[in-house]
Amino acid sequence: MPSVSDTRPDRAALAARQTRFDRVVRVVKVAALLVVAVLVLSFPATAANPFILSVGVIIASYAAFAVGWNFVGGFTGYISLGHAAYSGMGGYATALLITRLEWNPWVSLVLGAVLVAVVAVPIGIASLRVRGASFVIVSIAVVLILLLVSQSWAGLTNGSNGLRVPRPFGPEVLRPEQHQRFFYLFVALIAVALLVWWLIDRSRFGMGLKAIREDEDKAQSLGVPTFAYKLVVFVVSAFFTAMAGGLYALWFGNLDPVFQFSILVGSYMVLMSLLGGIRSLFGPVLGAVIVGYALEFFKVNFGDTQFHLVALGLMLALVVLFMPDGIIPAVAAGVKRLGPQAGSIREMSAADLLEDNRRRDREAQERASRTEPATSQAEDDDTTTEREHVGGSAR
Amino acid sequence: MSASLLLQGVILGILLGGLYALLAAGLTLYFGVMRVVMIAHSAFLILAAYIAWWMNTSLGLDPLLSLVVTVPSFFVVGYVMQRGLLSRLRPATLTMMSVLLTFAIALTIEGALGYFFTGTQRRIQLSYASASFEVLGAQVAVVKLVAFGLAVVALVALWAVLKLTSFGQALRATIQHPEAARLLGIDTDRIAGFGFGLGLATAAIGGTALSLDSTIYPSLHWHWIGPLMAIIVIGGLGSIPGAAIAAMLLGVSQALLQIPLGTTWAQTVFYVALFATLMVRPQGFFGGRLAQRF
Repeated sequence: MPSVSDTRPDRAALAARQTRFDRVVRVVKVAALLVVAVLVLSFPATAANPFILSVGVIIASYAAFAVGWNFVGGFTGYISLGHAAYSGMGGYATALLITRLEWNPWVSLVLGAVLVAVVAVPIGIASLRVRGASFVIVSIAVVLILLLVSQSWAGLTNGSNGLRVPRPFGPEVLRPEQHQRFFYLFVALIAVALLVWWLIDRSRFGMGLKAIREDEDKAQSLGVPTFAYKLVVFVVSAFFTAMAGGLYALWFGNLDPVFQFSILVGSYMVLMSLLGGIRSLFGPVLGAVIVGYALEFFKVNFGDTQFHLVALGLMLALVVLFMPDGIIPAVAAGVKRLGPQAGSIREMSAADLLEDNRRRDREAQERASRTEPATSQAEDDDTTTEREHVGGSAR
Repeated sequence: MSASLLLQGVILGILLGGLYALLAAGLTLYFGVMRVVMIAHSAFLILAAYIAWWMNTSLGLDPLLSLVVTVPSFFVVGYVMQRGLLSRLRPATLTMMSVLLTFAIALTIEGALGYFFTGTQRRIQLSYASASFEVLGAQVAVVKLVAFGLAVVALVALWAVLKLTSFGQALRATIQHPEAARLLGIDTDRIAGFGFGLGLATAAIGGTALSLDSTIYPSLHWHWIGPLMAIIVIGGLGSIPGAAIAAMLLGVSQALLQIPLGTTWAQTVFYVALFATLMVRPQGFFGGRLAQRF
């Protein structure tokens, strides 16, 4: 058995190497972030033609949807297949405020999203009462209801004919220029949403939400107000998704209920977030870039056929079966493998643990002997507790 | 609303409710054996309807004959799907991931149907399609009655298999308590696969019944999955009698509401009932212990 003295310096060296490696990783991360930011911001200037630019806008809108979705999916682990309800409602709210009340488009966009967030409160209260599969069912049901309503209530939504949304910029702004502006608007929205996600991630609130994701019953028994937490993050998610939906409506200029309240759009958000990694900040954005590009590729190459559905279905199945944690966690694990190896053995070796426990037991005994004299009975117990402690470390 | 119109509505509702009950029973079976909500159930329903339509138009066979092909093949597909795909998912995230996986299967089926048969609406032309008879002043179409008869026969057969055979006993034991069933020497993995196959076979029968008197198109399954999901949640996930009762009640209410509101708004009855149930009794009305955490 190795003695304590020859493992300790090793571990100290390992820890030092680990901090050095971590510092390198952090520098690389920041550098990569800067490069990506520069690339994203210069994309409209470097895009070859307006079509590429419009694809960029579509992918940016997908990323905004996915980040909005990930407030619920990533923190609480509640997978909503029906987030198209909020993007669709955001689009309709914005469009209706502009056309019916003739409000300023940007005011309509924000107030529309606020309205959707208000509507999301009762929906959240109803649907967050159930977990897992039932929650998914309810989220789908919400989209189907809204589809029925938006198609039938022709007086308000113009039914299946769709609703035209006036452009927020004057006629002097040409199409490519529009794409450019909307691209930056989407990027700004994504940045704000990511900032909020990051803030929640570091907060006590976020900790409670993640506890819900890992084990809701335990979180509740530890005193996390689970229902209130879930509801708040649900409403935040609805707000950001609705903002993205409203922005999309302003850009696209036309709303068709079949596309606004489509389960497909909701499943895009899930696929993108899962592929990138729902537990990581940039996961949904990365997923949106990959899936969004793939979707546009399929649409261009297979055009009118329904083949893009098959492609989407297969992609989703592959991700679920083989990469349920997403790309970013997989890459992070790979990077960790490059660093100094601590192996799968826990930081404290069994010998150390034994030593530690012996010391602790001795201390406890000394403390006990100060109040009452130690007996031979306690000596016998000592060996069994040791064995238990070591056994516990293996678990 | 005249009395005969009301009666007509009730009869239509019961005929429709029979089909809902059969399909909801299939969904309940999946949920029972694996705690899986099978979104692709209605996609398989439409697939079976397409097979019936295809055999009718290209081979000239009566759609009922397609059952000979679809029921056994769907049983096998169900078994393979459970053993090969769903049982591979991590137990910790099974509920969520299985929803996504079956959703992916549904998308693939819808896309493949659209790819091979295009999105055109299809309908089987039957010699007895327009035949109907009168019951107390209400018109009942023969095809609807045939579809209902098919659903009832299938439900009774399902009941008989579950209650009277030793396989059914093993399946019910697996649903109630998998660990205990394993201790008794039941191969629960295989039984779960068979349970899945049985559930998918109900989709085959339902699809044939559906093809008799409805126009079908690839994306039709979305119109079925919503109501079916609502039915099993209201009935209480995992309870076949609950699902059947909820199916009948909602089928009749839908048919009755169609008279004053029209077909589109009448569909919302499922969702209104779903949300009312969640507010009053989130575990559903018959599910009890099983459904609570799902």
